[in-house]
Amino acid sequence: MKKQWLKLFAGVISFVLVLTACGGAKEEQKAADGKQNEELPPVELVWNFPLSAIPQDLATVQEAVNKITKEKINATVKLQAHTFADYNQKMNTIVASGEKYDVAWVANWNWDYLQNQSKGAFLELDDLIQQNAPDLLKSMPDFVWDAAKIQGKIYAIPNYQTVTKKEGFVIQKRFADIYNLDVSSIKKFEDIEPFLKQIKEGESPDVVPFLNDKSGRFSLMYQSQGLEAINNVVGVELQNPDKPINLFETPQYKHYLDVMRDWYTKGYINENAATLKNKNDIIKTGNAAVQFHNVLKPGGEVEAKAANGGNDVIYVPITDAYASTGTVITTMQSISKNSKNPERAMMFINLLNTDKELYNAISYGVEGKHYKKVSDNVVQINKDGGYAPNANWVFGNTFNAYLVEGMDPSVMEQTKKENETAQKSPLMGFKFDNTPVMAEIANLATVIDEHLPGLDTGTVDPNTNLKVFQDKLKQAGIDKVIEEMAKQIEAWKQTK
Amino acid sequence: MSTIQVTINKKAAKSSLASKKSSWSSRIINLFFCALSILLIIPLILVISISFTDEKTLLQHGYHLLPEKFSLEAYSLIFKSPGVLLNAYGITILVTVIGTVIGLFLTSLTAYTISRKDYRYRKPMTLYVFFTTLFSGGLVPFYIMVTQYLHLKDTMWALIVPYLLSPFYILVMKGFLDKIPLEVIESGKIDGASEWRIFFTIVLPLSLPALVTIGLFISFQYWNDWWLGLLFIDDQKLVPLQLMLYRVMSTIEYLSNNMSTVNVSIDMTQFPSLSARMAMAVLAAGPMMIVFPMLQRFFISGLTVGSVKG
Repeated sequence: MKKQWLKLFAGVISFVLVLTACGGAKEEQKAADGKQNEELPPVELVWNFPLSAIPQDLATVQEAVNKITKEKINATVKLQAHTFADYNQKMNTIVASGEKYDVAWVANWNWDYLQNQSKGAFLELDDLIQQNAPDLLKSMPDFVWDAAKIQGKIYAIPNYQTVTKKEGFVIQKRFADIYNLDVSSIKKFEDIEPFLKQIKEGESPDVVPFLNDKSGRFSLMYQSQGLEAINNVVGVELQNPDKPINLFETPQYKHYLDVMRDWYTKGYINENAATLKNKNDIIKTGNAAVQFHNVLKPGGEVEAKAANGGNDVIYVPITDAYASTGTVITTMQSISKNSKNPERAMMFINLLNTDKELYNAISYGVEGKHYKKVSDNVVQINKDGGYAPNANWVFGNTFNAYLVEGMDPSVMEQTKKENETAQKSPLMGFKFDNTPVMAEIANLATVIDEHLPGLDTGTVDPNTNLKVFQDKLKQAGIDKVIEEMAKQIEAWKQTK
Repeated sequence: MSTIQVTINKKAAKSSLASKKSSWSSRIINLFFCALSILLIIPLILVISISFTDEKTLLQHGYHLLPEKFSLEAYSLIFKSPGVLLNAYGITILVTVIGTVIGLFLTSLTAYTISRKDYRYRKPMTLYVFFTTLFSGGLVPFYIMVTQYLHLKDTMWALIVPYLLSPFYILVMKGFLDKIPLEVIESGKIDGASEWRIFFTIVLPLSLPALVTIGLFISFQYWNDWWLGLLFIDDQKLVPLQLMLYRVMSTIEYLSNNMSTVNVSIDMTQFPSLSARMAMAVLAAGPMMIVFPMLQRFFISGLTVGSVKG
C-alpha cells in the first residue's frame, strides 16, 4: 500500500517538474544577445500598450524598434500589445501581482491615470525628465504638462496630439447640397432644426435626420452650453469654475431635453435611440444625415468619410477649440514604480517623442513590408502586411508621424495651431479623486443607466420624468459627491 | 446530464404510447420539447444566416432567418488569410485533448482515493477538496502562482494546468464511485491485483458513464475558454480560438461605448463587419456541432451500459 502511494507521489512531483522546466528556459536566452556599446549596460525594457487588435507581425516591428534603441540607448524593448477592451483588467492584474514591466500606456478613459497613481503604480517623473529628456519638456506647451500633473507632480508623459475639442455637427454633404444648407446660420444646436425638417420631409424613411443613441448627446455639448463636466454627473459653469453643480439640474439640461422631445415626436430622431448601443452600424450605411460630435478636429472629415460608408461629410463647428484636463490626458506613457531601469525607460519615452525614425517604425512598421513610401513624408499602408495599428497616438508625439496617403498635409500645422490657441479650461490640471465617494458614484451610475437613455433621446417626456430622475440622483447621494468635489477643488487651488 | 433526461423522457414517451390514456400527456411533453428545441435552434440559424448575408442589406434591413441577399464575402474574407484561424484552431484542439485526458485521469484518481472507505483520511481529504469550492485565493494570488511560481506565462501549459482539477467534478465523480461496493475491490486484492491494477481494470471500466459525462464537461470547459488565454498569453501563436473571437467582439463593444467623448481617433471600419464576425463564430462552433451529435450515440450507450452493470 505504502509503496503505491510513493509511486503516485513521485509521479505528481515529476509532472510538476516538467511543467516548471517548460516555462523557465525562455528568459536566459534574451539576456545573451545583447552587445556592449557605450558606457550604458544593456537592459531590456517591457512596454505595455493597447491597440484595436493585436498585430500579427509584432515580432518584426519589435526587431526594427530594437535596432534603433540598441544603437541609441543600448536597450531592447519588449512590446506587449493588448486590446483596448482587455487593457484595464490586464494592467490591474499585472500591477497587483507585482509583475515586472517598465513603461505602460495610461489614460483617463482606459486604465485610469488618477486611480492608478493613487494606488502607487507610477514613478514620479519630474527629476527623470530633467536629467534624461531635456528636449521633451520643450516639445509640448506648458498647459499640456499642467494637465498631466497630480498634486503638482508629473506621473505620465502625454503623447502630444490633438489636445482640444470642438463641438458641432457632422453633416452628410449630399443633403447639405440638396437643401442649400447655410452653414453660417448655425450658431447653436437648435439652429439645425429647419434642416432636419427638410430631410424628414424630403428623404426616404431609411435616412435618420438626427442620429442619437443610448448615451444621449448632452454629454457632448457641455462646452457650447457653457459648462465643463468633471465626471459624468457633476461639473461647473465656466463662469463660476469654483462651484461644482449637478449637471442634470441645470437649465441647459432642461432646455436640451425639451428640444430632444420635440424632435423625437416630430420623427427627427431614430426611434431605437434609447436602446442603440453601437451607432456605428447606422453611420456605416451613410444614412445618418446629421450627427452631433464633440471632437471636430482639423482634417477629421477624411476619417469621418470612411466611417460614413464613403460618403462625404462636412463639419459645422459651433464652438472654438477648447482644452481641458480631460482632453489632454487621453493618451500618456507612465513608468512603473517597480521598474529596475527608470532612467533608461525615460530615455526610451524621450526617443518615442523626439526620434522620428523610431516613432514611425512603431507607428507604421517596416518599410516595404508594412508600408510603402509614396513621397518623402507620405506613406501608403499595406493593410495585409500584418502590422497596421492605425493609432499612432498610442505611441508618442503624433506630429513626428509620416502622413498617410490622402491626408491633407496642412492638417498638422492646423492642429498645432489649434492646440496653442485653444481656450484653456479654468480647471486645467484638476482631477477628481472619487475614492472617498465610491459607493455614491456606483449608485449614481445605476440611476443614470436607468433614466438617461430615455430622457436624453427624447423617447420619454421630460415634464414628468426629469423630476423623478433628479430625485433619484439626490437619493443616490449626489450632494455628497458635489461636496467632496468642492473640497478637492479648493485643495487643488492651494497647490497651484 | 440533459442527455439522461432526454432518454428517460423518450422511454417514458414510448411506454405511455401503448396506453391511450396517457397519450395526451406525452403529446404535451413532446410539444414542450419541440418548443424548447426551436428556441435553442433559432439563434443558431440566425447566426448562420447573418454570416451568409450581404453586409449592406444587413445594415439596412436588419436580421432575417433566411439571408435576404446571399453573399459569401464574409467567408472569402476569412479564408483569404486563414493562417491565424487555423493556428487558433490547432491550439484549441491540442489544449482540449491534452487537458481532457490529463484532467480526467487526475480527477478520477483523486475521487477514487477519497471514495475508498478503507482510507483513513478520506473525511479530511474530502473536506479539503470541498473547502476549495467555497473559498478561493482570488485572481491576483492565482495570477502570481501561475506566472511567478509555476512560470507558465506564454506557454501552452497555462491554458491547461489551471483547469486540470475542479473540485466540483471530483465530488461528482466521488458520488458515483461511492456506489462501487468495497467487496469488488477486496476481491481484486484477494486475487493479488495491485492498487494500480484494481484502479485501471476494475474501477475505471465500472465508472465509464461518469467518466464520459465528466470528460465531456471538461472538454467543453477547455473548448470554450478564453479567460486563461486573456490572462496568461501574450504570444500571438498561442492564442486559442475563443480568445480570438472574444477579443474582436469585446473590443468593438468597448470602443463603441467609450470612444464617443474622447478626442483620440480610432478607425472603426478596420474591424470585421457583422457578417464576418458571425462567420467566425460559425467556424468556431462548427466542428463541435458536428462532432457532438456523432459522439452522442456513444455517450448514451455508455451511460446505459454503466447503469445496467452498476
